[in-house]
Amino acid sequence: MLATRVFSLVGKRAISTSVCVRAHESVVKSEDFSLPAYMDRRDHPLPEVAHVKHLSASQKALKEKEKASWSSLSMDEKVESLCFLLHKCGFGEKWLNVAEEGAADLCACKWLSSLPPVYRIKFKESFAEMNRGSNEWKTVVGGAMFFIGFTALVIMWQKHYVYGPLPQSFDKEWVAKQTKRMLDMKVNPIQGLASKWDYEKNEWKK
Amino acid sequence: MAHAAQVGLQDATSPIMEELITFHDHTLMIIFLICFLVLYALFLTLTTKLTNTNISDAQEMETVWTILPAIILVLIALPSLRILYMADEVNDPSLTIKSIGHQWYWTYEYTDYGGLIFNSYMLPPLFLEPGDLRLLDVDNRVVLPIEAPIRMMITSQDVLHSWAVPTLGLKTDAIPGRLNQTTFTATRPGVYYGQCSEICGANHSFMPIVLELIPLKIFEMGPVFTL
Repeated sequence: MLATRVFSLVGKRAISTSVCVRAHESVVKSEDFSLPAYMDRRDHPLPEVAHVKHLSASQKALKEKEKASWSSLSMDEKVESLCFLLHKCGFGEKWLNVAEEGAADLCACKWLSSLPPVYRIKFKESFAEMNRGSNEWKTVVGGAMFFIGFTALVIMWQKHYVYGPLPQSFDKEWVAKQTKRMLDMKVNPIQGLASKWDYEKNEWKK
Repeated sequence: MAHAAQVGLQDATSPIMEELITFHDHTLMIIFLICFLVLYALFLTLTTKLTNTNISDAQEMETVWTILPAIILVLIALPSLRILYMADEVNDPSLTIKSIGHQWYWTYEYTDYGGLIFNSYMLPPLFLEPGDLRLLDVDNRVVLPIEAPIRMMITSQDVLHSWAVPTLGLKTDAIPGRLNQTTFTATRPGVYYGQCSEICGANHSFMPIVLELIPLKIFEMGPVFTL
């Protein structure tokens, strides 16, 4: 069950990175990778092609209206028209930071947080959307802990069924006598074992 | 000898080893600084939100990170060479002992003032008394005086071995057909352990070296020569 969950996460990512699906939503077509492609990338803010290639009727109408004087646009249409918004915010042709939610505060364009249809014609995801985190780390950490736990079970089995007994020099009495002997020999008396023993009081130093 | 799970160096029993410990501290600090710097740079690289795909020249940085490592290497090499030459100083040893490696025991020859030759085998587990050091204790130790320069001539009778005593800073290969020389001066009395340090067959881990360093007066009384 875990494996299919992992696989489905991987599978979803594989599909979303394929160029043809991004550009054409549900229509999947094999496309030559040498043609300009659309991509949602933080370091490639202005893709060579728009997200939507074939405009619907309402989208075409909106585009025509955008070409005329902006004073003829209603308030709602102004909101929808991305060019107007960008000009108002002083970015001119710089599309870049407007897409991020943080830029909404910069130029008091609070309405930007719900991105208008004109934006969605040009871009599939906003910067905030493309940079979003995921829950993949939970799968990774969970998987790692599972396998570590399994390894622990293997080691427990080995200790019980495979390994022989420890040598007698690991017995408590032996270790005690051995330690006493090492202290008598003053093993590592400068910074090591014997330096931690108080020879006057016959105990470990506090 | 090392205690269980000891990671660091043992305390020094000779002046050369003291120098080596200081050198190790110096070099390890440099290594830690470099590693920390690299890990920090790696961390910054992995967690940045910045993207720039047009980075090209960085001539000044390239110059710095060429010159600076060279300087660091010199700062490591100079103390290293100093200790290397210090270890080879001519100091007129008082005593010469021959150590011959076999599979899988050592033979020691004290031929300066007599003809004492004996073998040194690891104590098998069944022969151990409670409190003995398993895999380290031997039947016949190498008894030597402290505060006297001692010359060890090391060779092998069959395959490669290596005669090592970490607390004295010694490790010298025992090569058949060749005599290798190493010298040391022990500063404090005690029993010091080492293990064969060149793979030599099935019982390579079971041919330890044990030195018993005693005051010169007691050594001169001749306990060594009564087998």
